[in-house]
Amino acid sequence: MILASGFPPGVEDFDFQSLVPPLGQAITKITLLAWLAAAIIIVFFLVAYRKPKLVPTKTQWLAESVYGFIRDGVSKEVIGTEKGVRFAPYLATLFCFILVMNIFGIVPFLQISPNSHIAFPAFLAIITYVMFIYLGVRKHGAWGYIKHSLILPGVPLPMHFLLVPIEFVSTFLVRPISLAVRLFANMFAGHLLLLVFTLGGVALINAETIWFRPLSVVSWAVAIVMTFFELVVAALQAYVFVILTASYVESSLADEH
Amino acid sequence: MKLLAESGGAQILLPVWSEVIVGAIAFVLVCLVLMKFVFPRMEETFRARVDAIEGGLKRAEQAQAEANQLLEQYREQLAEARTEAAAIRDEARADSAAIRDEMLAKAGEERDRIIAVGKEQLSAERQTLIRELRSDIGSLAVDLAGRIVGESLADEAHRRGTVERFLAEIESEPAGTAGRG
Amino acid sequence: MDLAAVTGSLSSIGYGLAAIGPGIGVGIVFAAYITATARQPESAGLTRTYMFLGFAIVEALALFGLVLGFIWSK
Repeated sequence: MILASGFPPGVEDFDFQSLVPPLGQAITKITLLAWLAAAIIIVFFLVAYRKPKLVPTKTQWLAESVYGFIRDGVSKEVIGTEKGVRFAPYLATLFCFILVMNIFGIVPFLQISPNSHIAFPAFLAIITYVMFIYLGVRKHGAWGYIKHSLILPGVPLPMHFLLVPIEFVSTFLVRPISLAVRLFANMFAGHLLLLVFTLGGVALINAETIWFRPLSVVSWAVAIVMTFFELVVAALQAYVFVILTASYVESSLADEH
Repeated sequence: MKLLAESGGAQILLPVWSEVIVGAIAFVLVCLVLMKFVFPRMEETFRARVDAIEGGLKRAEQAQAEANQLLEQYREQLAEARTEAAAIRDEARADSAAIRDEMLAKAGEERDRIIAVGKEQLSAERQTLIRELRSDIGSLAVDLAGRIVGESLADEAHRRGTVERFLAEIESEPAGTAGRG
Repeated sequence: MDLAAVTGSLSSIGYGLAAIGPGIGVGIVFAAYITATARQPESAGLTRTYMFLGFAIVEALALFGLVLGFIWSK
């Protein structure tokens, strides 16, 4: 399907045919990959933690170090040592889910991340959005939370006319949108980038001018380098999504600004 | 739902609802399993591991304290034993000195007594000797006188001198000869 | 032939312009992190979180540019 696409890759490369036409887009390669990600995570963790031991086996150690990384490196670091542990399970789950789905973007034959469709990042961002607003309202009360998040202390009154709209936009609009769009756009752009170099290689080898043909090797080499770059981006974006979620939660739970 | 290619670029920001639902179900499933069955157990394991390490430390501390106590006890006992031994030694030393002194005193006494007894015997013997000699001298003198008188009275004056000299010798002699006998 | 004529997608040029600011911004974020770490190596762990926060927020602008470029591509 990819090779069938024309050279300048575009949005049409992110469309997948329904595998079961009556169900429409509910069963496509993308949704199957989402199920696969969920299955991989569940099976891996259940197998790794079937019989936990004090002295861990290799798989158990791997599972523990993923959780420990999010728990100590993100949750405790950003939210705080006491409160952070409570959010560690959710953040670790989020991290694993995003990471596995991102890495699908460079796994041979899968070659696309479900996160390159806005539906998945948007859903995850909405959970974060609802979560930090709920936590803020629970801690400060509805009015208290709005005051807490919109009004900066120690600012002269006229400045509030300027600052309150800015704070509102940045907290309640830009936060969820940027969270969703960042993950989506990274995966989208990463997939496009790989397509540009692989399809570019194909286009070069079929070129009219014979001197362009050897350049396809260069194009494919760059595609391989970009695949490794995408691995870094996949991990980094999963980490950034989690760290931003943690930081939003922390800002809702903070006593003062 | 239109496909992305059919409806232009704006559609890339509009989620496909069926995909949202699939993503939601998958994510909630993962959340449920991991947050219910895996991560709480991981926290438990972490806690158990900390407990194991701290418990081990505590046990080691206890053992150390016990060992220290025993050592202290042994040291005390040793010190006690040492002082006791020293006391015993001192006592023995004092005893031995006393015994030696006593023995010496006894030996001295014995010696003195033996000496005294010897002296007494000597003086007693000398007395008897003197007494015997005294009685003998008379008979000897008579013998000598008889012989001299019986042989010749020629040179009387000369003989008289001899007798007198003899008597004088006897007179002066007993003290000297008696000591030798 | 008109020398100033532009063919192809204008939104590509728009995205190129949109990427300038975030490019500089991301550079500044990492430069500041490196400077901070070089001056006080023990603060590396403390500032890493803030580096990623700053990086993510700055990078979002470039990605908005990318997405908007596709939205108005036709």
